[in-house]
Amino acid sequence: MKEQIAQIKERALNEIESATNAKILDEVRVKYLGKKGELTLILRGMGSLAPEERPIIGSLVNEVRDELENKIEERETYFENLEIERKLVEENIDVTMPSKRNNLGSVHPITQIINDVKEIFIGMGYEIADGPEVELATYNFDKLNTPPDHPARDVQDTFYITEDIVLRSQTSPVQARVMESKKPPIKIICPGAVYRSDSVDATHSPVFHQIEGLVIDKNISMADLKGTLEMFAKKCLGEKTQIRFRPHHFPFTEPSAEADVSCFVCGGKGCRVCKGEGWIELLGCGMVHPNVLRYCGIDPEEYTGFAFGFGVERIAMAKFGIDDMRLLYENDVRFLKQF
Amino acid sequence: MKASIEWLNEYADIQIEPKKLGDILTMTGSKVETIEQQGGDIQNVVVGKILEIKPHINSDHLVVTKVDVGNKEILQIVTGAKNIKEGDVVPIAKDGSKLPGGVEIKTGKLRGIDSCGMMCSVGELGLDIHSYPDQIEDGIMILKPELEKNLGEDIRKVLGLNQTIFDFEITPNRPDCLSIEGLGREVAVSLDVPFKNPRKNIEEMNVPDKKDLEGLTVEITAPDLCYRYIARIVKNVKIGPSPDWMVKRLNSCGVRAINNIVDITNYVMLEMGQPMHAFDINSIEGKHITVRRAKKDEKIITLDDQERNLNENMLVIADSKKPVAIAGVMGGQNSEIESSTQTVVFESAVFYGGSIRKTAKAVGLRTEASSRYEKGLSPENALRAVNRAVELAEEIGAGKAVDGKIDVYPTKQKVSKIPLQVEKINLLLGTNISKQEMINTLQKLEMKVENDIITPPYFRQDVEQVADVAEEVLRFYGYDKLGTTLINAETTLGGKNKEQKITDIISQFLVNSGLSEICTYGFLSEKDLAKCNITGDNEYIKEAVKIQNPLSEDYTLMKPTSVPTMMQMLANNNNYKNKEVKLFDISRIYQNKENAIENGKLPQESNILTIGIYSEKEDFYTLKGLVENILELAGISKIDVRKEVNNKMYHPGRCANINVGKDIIATIGEANPLLTKNYGISQRVLLAEINIDKITKYGRKSQKYVPITKFPAVERDISMVLDENIEVGEIEKIIQKKAKKILEDARLFDIYRSEKLGKGKKSVAYSLKFRMQDRTLTDEEVNDIMKQIIAELEKNLGAELRK
Repeated sequence: MKEQIAQIKERALNEIESATNAKILDEVRVKYLGKKGELTLILRGMGSLAPEERPIIGSLVNEVRDELENKIEERETYFENLEIERKLVEENIDVTMPSKRNNLGSVHPITQIINDVKEIFIGMGYEIADGPEVELATYNFDKLNTPPDHPARDVQDTFYITEDIVLRSQTSPVQARVMESKKPPIKIICPGAVYRSDSVDATHSPVFHQIEGLVIDKNISMADLKGTLEMFAKKCLGEKTQIRFRPHHFPFTEPSAEADVSCFVCGGKGCRVCKGEGWIELLGCGMVHPNVLRYCGIDPEEYTGFAFGFGVERIAMAKFGIDDMRLLYENDVRFLKQF
Repeated sequence: MKASIEWLNEYADIQIEPKKLGDILTMTGSKVETIEQQGGDIQNVVVGKILEIKPHINSDHLVVTKVDVGNKEILQIVTGAKNIKEGDVVPIAKDGSKLPGGVEIKTGKLRGIDSCGMMCSVGELGLDIHSYPDQIEDGIMILKPELEKNLGEDIRKVLGLNQTIFDFEITPNRPDCLSIEGLGREVAVSLDVPFKNPRKNIEEMNVPDKKDLEGLTVEITAPDLCYRYIARIVKNVKIGPSPDWMVKRLNSCGVRAINNIVDITNYVMLEMGQPMHAFDINSIEGKHITVRRAKKDEKIITLDDQERNLNENMLVIADSKKPVAIAGVMGGQNSEIESSTQTVVFESAVFYGGSIRKTAKAVGLRTEASSRYEKGLSPENALRAVNRAVELAEEIGAGKAVDGKIDVYPTKQKVSKIPLQVEKINLLLGTNISKQEMINTLQKLEMKVENDIITPPYFRQDVEQVADVAEEVLRFYGYDKLGTTLINAETTLGGKNKEQKITDIISQFLVNSGLSEICTYGFLSEKDLAKCNITGDNEYIKEAVKIQNPLSEDYTLMKPTSVPTMMQMLANNNNYKNKEVKLFDISRIYQNKENAIENGKLPQESNILTIGIYSEKEDFYTLKGLVENILELAGISKIDVRKEVNNKMYHPGRCANINVGKDIIATIGEANPLLTKNYGISQRVLLAEINIDKITKYGRKSQKYVPITKFPAVERDISMVLDENIEVGEIEKIIQKKAKKILEDARLFDIYRSEKLGKGKKSVAYSLKFRMQDRTLTDEEVNDIMKQIIAELEKNLGAELRK
């Protein structure tokens, strides 16, 4: 009996060893270990053995069975790995072939600048305010300390709907509306389209975009204005950006300033964009004129504030190197998709 | 305002480089736009004398000259000039010389004869012909004969082209700086050197007031428009050219010389900022001057030979019969100084700026005078100016002063008294400037400070309140020394509102879906509307907001619909031969609802998202999907899509309105083929107009989690044949109505037409899914609902169930 088992074992091991694929291996397994397999049959036939032999033979068969199973498993793993290796070799693809994807659209460069600016000021606790583009002259002018005889009100500069209704020539009327409707503290920026009677050319457009900022609270100082704008300039144009204030005049601020930033193209060395100056005129700003506060129902003895405003197109053009403003409004997708 | 360093030096000692001075002045508020070095681009051009002129053997129009250029050097120069003769002294550009505009002169041959230089015209030297009235434009500049003694000398030195000229950008609040005196004062304070005040003697003049002067009387009938009018007279006038120094100074400010009297008026204006007018006393009929409003339809011919129509809003200087000048703008031809003039009246007046500005605009004449007046001048300065004019007239020998003045001064200049609030100024600026430093600055600016009360000088009418004082203090403390602090105040939350957030989400989605955002003008014209099939008494036309003073006939309206603009942008891209173009625009439309404008109210402005697509790959249903996605992103789930056949801009068979509640929140569809034809686009165009304000109104308020049910769904398919013209939306409505809440999904999975079905019929198949949240549905329940659905479909739509 023992010899018979040893023979089976030897044959089985040989057949396992010589099986060339998983299928043959499975046949070997069935042949020896299946329900009617040779080894199984020996176990079944144990009843005919002497009782004292049974445990010896039983354990011997089980030993052989375990060994064969292990061997088969080993070979199976080998064949599986072989199969994976085959796949890896056969399933090679050309990864440089074109992809299947949606073409992306684009955000207009003006919107991109506006979004950047919004992001920065929201981070500093500002809200985004909005107002009508067809605006009452009183908000566009009177409440901003620009009385009826002021040159800014000329028909050469401003579009009129009626004597009292204009297309806003600046985003500042939004300031006046917010001041009237809200109690300080006020911290807003108002981006939007503005209208001036300029013919279209490479640097002018009758419609352009402005972003206006306004802060009203107790003890707001001009140094706060400079600090705020410096922070804005660094975030918007790069950490190395310097800011410079120059005296200027606007009817709605006093003191007023023009703010220059160190040229973000050449870093201040002088180039074509900054006309060799090293500085680029960025915006107009100042402390809100006490008259404006009064006209909008805020007590200038209690509150002070600052305001600033700049043209989005100019920044977009400088930042993206766009040399003709008309490109921004022609909306050629070959231009748009670059952004 | 232009000013030469030489002239400014009369007011303040300037010991630094022009560039440095320019930087300093820019930082104290007088922005230097350009610094021009006169003659800077002229090199190696000298004074020469023509010794002989001989014909050219090879040319009829050229001559050969011998020119003495000093230092015993004689040059042969060939020229075509006609205005020269032997003995003339002329500017000679020698070999290797440079002229303005980058021109270089070298020795060469002209028609075979050596020419060792060039004689120069006024223009070739980069000079303004108007500044040299005795020269001709297309000939050689002929210098004064006495310059023969300067042969070989640099032409720049001889012509006085050695000045450094600043061009300042002066802000409108500082009309005092539209004068050398005002700028000189700024220079002195900026450099912290004494203001030399060379006109001190003028202040000390005591000219008696007279009722009439040489028979002349003055009356102001419009004291609201004319604050002060002073007249002085100069007799025994000899009209002639002004001395060189005066011409040079006028030229340095860009003003050309005319004659001694006119030049004096211009000189005083440049020096003191007060426009002056001079006229012949004999041209004043009745010798009585009235400053009055013009009469309706009155006319005047101004000094530039143009006839101007006047009206009652304009101020004129008139004699007893007629206007002789438009006040503050320009004099009349009828009172012009002529070579025969013997007695001159110098007028120095101050008018209300707003009126002068409007008049200047109305008559289309913005002059040096009007641009100063419109900013509001000081009546106190007017007296100094007229006295200075008379002084100059005597100084340059133009005539003899008549003692006395006529001074009508009905509207006195206001004097501001401002408290010096040191702490308030420091708080406003964020500085820590001492009281003494403030007082020092203010005193340098000639402001009186007594008992902490500031009185600005007459020429600083712009300083009215504490904020103005703060600016003066800061200008000389230094804008660059201002610190940078961050706001130390109550924290504010900031952020975007609901509409702004929804707009951002939608744009991001559209960009990710392959659409490019565009940026457009708000303008349109009726022509554009007509191109979009909008004509006649259409609401868009009735409600359009019209611009009174449009830039051009293309921009007469504010757009009442965004479609024409989108069509134009698609057409642009089509013209550029761009394929597969997908655009979106978020902008406003403007509608004059219920005659708002006529009632002094504002028109309605709505934020509209417009989509425009032309592409072989997309159709109505792509667009519909895009818009459904947008609405889903905005948090709108219940929408009602209804066919729209009346919108003239769209294809009547391929247009829908999307309704939420009572509002139409979007219109989508294919552009009417008329539009694509009018815009020259050969493909179908897809359009959508989505009202962002309304989307925001209906957009989701809160999101709450609904538990995922454990109970199984029951699925049933249903297939029916019905008339072609029945919209599947009708089927869905019936299914929804009958199945109510247990309907989880109704999905159209098949639609087909065939001959077997018959003409005008279609077969439609839906897959329905039912589920209850709290228990398992029974077959009987579902069967019952299916029965109801089928009955309703048969009854209302004439559907035939397919088994």
